[in-house]
Amino acid sequence: MDGNGVMISFINLSKTFSDDRHIVKAIDGFSLDIRQGEIVCLLGPSGCGKTTVLRIIAGLESKSGGSVKVRDESVSSAGSDRGLVFQEFSLFPWRTVRKNIEFGLEIKMMPVEERHEVSSKLIELVGLAGFENAHPEKLSGGMKQRVGIARALANDPAVLLMDEPFGSLDAQTRNLMQRELLRIWSATGKTILFVTHSVDEAVFLADRIVVMTARPGSVKEIISISIPRPRDRTSSEFISVRGEVLSVLEMEFEKTLARELSGD
Amino acid sequence: MSAQYTVLKRFGRFAKSRRLQLSAAIISVSVFVILWHVFAWLLRCWDWSLQEYVPFPVDVFTVLVDSFVNEVPGMDLSMGVMAFASFKRVVIGFTLALVVAFPLGLLMASFRFVNYLGDPIIEMFRPIPPVAWIPVFLVMLSFFWGPVAIVFLGAFFPILLNVMFGVKRTDQTLIDAAKTLGARRIDIFTKVVIPSTAPYLMTGVKVGLGISWMCIVAAEMLPVLGGGVGNALWVSAMEFSRFDVTFACMIVIGLMSILTTGLAEQVERRLYRWMGME
Amino acid sequence: MEKKTTLLISIVIAAAVVVATAGVALYLTPDDDDSVKYVVVSPTLMGGWLQGGDGSAYIAWEPFVSSATVGGYGTVLSWSNEIMPNHPCCVVVLSNEFASTTEGSELSLRFLKAHVESTEWILDALADKDSVEYQLLVNMSVAFTLRDADVVENALEHVKFGWEMDTEFRSALDQFTDMYIDAGIVEEETVGDRGYGNVTDFISSYVNGTYLDELGSVTESPAILNPDDPIRLGYLAGDIHQLAQYVAANGSVVGGTMSVFEKYGLNVVAATGAPYANGGSEMDAFVAGHVDIGYLGAPPAILKKLNVDADTTIIAQVNSEGSAIVIATGSQISSLADLSGKIVATPGESSIQHLLLKIALNEQGLKLVKA
Ligand SMILES: Nc1ncnc2c1ncn2[C@@H]1O[C@H](COP(=O)(O)OP(=O)(O)OP(=O)(O)O)[C@@H](O)[C@H]1O
Ligand SMILES: [Mg+2]
Repeated sequence: MDGNGVMISFINLSKTFSDDRHIVKAIDGFSLDIRQGEIVCLLGPSGCGKTTVLRIIAGLESKSGGSVKVRDESVSSAGSDRGLVFQEFSLFPWRTVRKNIEFGLEIKMMPVEERHEVSSKLIELVGLAGFENAHPEKLSGGMKQRVGIARALANDPAVLLMDEPFGSLDAQTRNLMQRELLRIWSATGKTILFVTHSVDEAVFLADRIVVMTARPGSVKEIISISIPRPRDRTSSEFISVRGEVLSVLEMEFEKTLARELSGD
Repeated sequence: MSAQYTVLKRFGRFAKSRRLQLSAAIISVSVFVILWHVFAWLLRCWDWSLQEYVPFPVDVFTVLVDSFVNEVPGMDLSMGVMAFASFKRVVIGFTLALVVAFPLGLLMASFRFVNYLGDPIIEMFRPIPPVAWIPVFLVMLSFFWGPVAIVFLGAFFPILLNVMFGVKRTDQTLIDAAKTLGARRIDIFTKVVIPSTAPYLMTGVKVGLGISWMCIVAAEMLPVLGGGVGNALWVSAMEFSRFDVTFACMIVIGLMSILTTGLAEQVERRLYRWMGME
Repeated sequence: MEKKTTLLISIVIAAAVVVATAGVALYLTPDDDDSVKYVVVSPTLMGGWLQGGDGSAYIAWEPFVSSATVGGYGTVLSWSNEIMPNHPCCVVVLSNEFASTTEGSELSLRFLKAHVESTEWILDALADKDSVEYQLLVNMSVAFTLRDADVVENALEHVKFGWEMDTEFRSALDQFTDMYIDAGIVEEETVGDRGYGNVTDFISSYVNGTYLDELGSVTESPAILNPDDPIRLGYLAGDIHQLAQYVAANGSVVGGTMSVFEKYGLNVVAATGAPYANGGSEMDAFVAGHVDIGYLGAPPAILKKLNVDADTTIIAQVNSEGSAIVIATGSQISSLADLSGKIVATPGESSIQHLLLKIALNEQGLKLVKA
C-alpha cells in the first residue's frame, strides 16, 4: 500500500490573489512531495492557504508561480482524476444519493447498468445502503459527507483531496467518520491530501503531517507518524506526537494572531 | 399494519387541516358577501346614486350563472366561450413568454456577451408598462395577436429577470464540485445551472401568470375577435352600464387567475418534491 | 422509475387538457350558414379595417360612410333609410335637474329655440347649393369634423336634419328599447323597477314634446341672461349629425358677430369632458352632473335612462337617417343576403347602427352573431 512513487509534487508553488484594491500573497515557496497511497494532512493557522493549495491541485484555481504535478503531469484544469470533498458537502440537492454518486459517471457517458453497478458498490463501501433514493436534505451531516466521498470516489481518481471534510460534524460523528475514512482508504488505496484544523484528527489519520507557516503559506515542518493503525488516542505515543505538532503550530498561530491584532 | 396506520393518521391530519382551511375560507367569503349585500342595501335605503353601480350579490350570481347557461347579456356569446377565448390568449401569450424568456434568461446570465447584447434592449423596454403597448399592438396585430402580445410582454420580464437572478444565484461550490467531477461547461449548464434555477423560474412563472391576467383585462379593452371576459367586462360597464355583468366578469377573471396560479403552485410542489427540495 | 411515471402522468394530463379544450372550442364555435358575424370596431378605424381585408363590410354613421366612398375604397351597400325610413338618430337630451328651476327651464326653452332656428338655417342652406350660406355650412362642417370638403358635402346629403318628434319617432324608440330587452342589454324587470308600466309607457314619459310646443313664446333677448352661469353643453367629437349646435354657436350665421345662442340671450360653454367620444360617455357625464343639455344618439340615452336611472328627458330630435352599410369597392357582395357567413364591423352592441344592422339582417332571415 505504501507505494514509493510520487503522486503529487509541488515545487515552489506561489499564489497571489488580487482584485481592484487588494493584493494578497496567499502562498509562497510551497514545496512538497506526496507519495502514492499516502495520507497527508495539511495543518496550519487560519488563512494560511490550505484551501488554496487544494483548489490549485483540483484545478479550480490557477497558480501564480512554481509547479504542481500530479503523476508527473502539470495541473492545468479541473479533472476527474482528482476528487475533491468539500467541508460544506456541496451535494446536488435535486439529485438522490445514487444520482449524486453517479454524477461523474453520467458525464463520462457510462452506460446506465454499469453506472448502477459502480454506484451500488460505492453505496455499500461508504455504508449508505437503504438510502440510495433519498435526497440529501433527508440525510444527517455524516451521511451527507459519505455521499460526498462516494461521489468523489466514483470517478476512481488518483488522489482524493479533502478540505476539512468533517469540520462541521459533531465530535462523535467525526470520530466515526475518521475510522470510516481509514477503512475506505485501506479498501481503495487512494492517495489522500487532507486539510484539517484538528491536530487530533491529523495525528489519527496521517502518515505525514505538513504544518504550514502563517500567510503567505509555505511548508514549515513535516512530521512523519509511524504509530501503527488503528491508533489509540489515549496512548502515550499518540499524545506525545500531538504535543509535538501542537508546539510547532502554536508559533504560527501566534504570528497570525499578532498580524490580526495589528490590523493587517 | 403499522405503515397502514401511519398513512391513515397522516391522511386524518391532512383532512383535518384541509377541513379547517375550507371552513375558514367559507366563513370569510360568506362574511364578505353579506357585507356586500348590506352595503348595496344601505345604498338603496339612502337612495344614493352610487346604488346603480353596486348590484346585489345575488343578482351578480344569477347573471353569472345565466351568462354561462345562455349568453352574456347583449354580447351574443356565452361566458364559457368568452372565458375560453381569454384563457386561450393568456395561455398562448404566457407560454410564448416562457419559451422565450427561460432560455434567454439562462443565456444572458451565463454568457457575458449575450448579456451585453440583450441588456440595453431589455433595460429600455422593461420600464414600459405592458399595457402601454395596447394601442400599438391592437392596431398593429389586431384582434387575436394584439392581446396575446400584451400578455406576452407582461409575463416575459418577470420570468426573464427571475431566471437571470436564479442563474446568478447558482451555488459556486456546486459548480466547483461539478468541475472536479469532470463536468464540461455544457454539463455544468445543463446539470447544475438549470436545475438550481428551477425555483426562481417557478417564482417568475407565478408572478408572470398574475400579470398575464391583469394584462388580458386591459388588452381586451378594445374589441377582440371571439369575445373575451375582459372585453365583456369593459362593454358591460362602459357601454351597457350593466354592472351586475361587470362584476360577474370580474369573478370569472379572478377564478381563472386562481385556477392557473393554483396549477402553477401544484407544478411547483411537484417539481420541488421531484427535486428533493420540499 | 417513480419520477418517470410522474412525468409521464403529467404529460398525459397536459395532453388531455389540450385536447379537451380544443374539443370544447370546436364544439362551441358556432358554424351557422344563416349568420353574419360581427366585430366591434371604432368608426375612426373602420376604413383601415375594411381595407385591411379583415372583414367584408361595416356599418357606421356619416362622415364615416362618405370618407370611404369619396376615398374610393368603399361602396354603400345599403343606406339606413332603406332599412328603416326616418329612423331616429341624434336627439337633444335635457338634464331634469337643470330644468327643475324656473330659470333653468326658461334657458332650456331658449336653447331649444336656438337649436330649431339653426337647424332651419342648415335646411335652407342645403336647399340651395349655390348660396353663400351653403358654402358657409360646408366650411363650418369642415372645421367641425376636420374632414375634406368633398367628404363633408357628400355626408350632408345623407343626413336628415330636423327637430320634430312624431309618433313614428316614438315608435322607433319603442322598437330600439324592445331590441335592447331582447338582446339582454336591458333586463325586462328594469322597465317596471324604474316605475313604467311597459316600454311604450317608458318612451312616452321619456320623450317630452312640451318644450317644442312652447317655442312660439320665445323672443330674442337684448342681453345675455346667464352671464355667470353658462349652459354646459354636451356633444360628440366631430359628429356631423350635431352640426346644429356648432352652427348656433357661430357668429357669422345670424349676420354680424352675434351667434344664434347670443341672439336668445344664452351663454353656452362646452361641458367638462366635451366633446365626448360616444353617447355612452356623454350620458355618464350627465349622471356625474357635468352636462345640462346634450346632443347624442337616442339609443345610449334610452340605455342609460333605464340601466343607471340617468335623470334626463329627450326634448327634441337632431337628425334622422345618415348611416349606411359600407362594403369594399369591387367586392362580390351585392345584397344583404350576400353578407351571410361574412364579418361585419359595427360601432358596438348598443349603437343604433348595430340595431339597424340586426333589423336589416333579420328581414333577410339572417342572424347577427359575435365573431
Ligand atoms: N478568491 C480569493 N480572492 C482573494 N483572496 C483570497 C481568495 N481566496 C483566498 N484568499 C485569501 O488567501 C488566503 C488563504 O486563503 P485559504 O482559504 O486558502 O486559507 P485556509 O488556510 O484555507 O484558511 P482556513 O483555515 O480559514 O480555511 C486568505 O488570506 C484569503 O483571504
Ligand atoms: Mg480553508
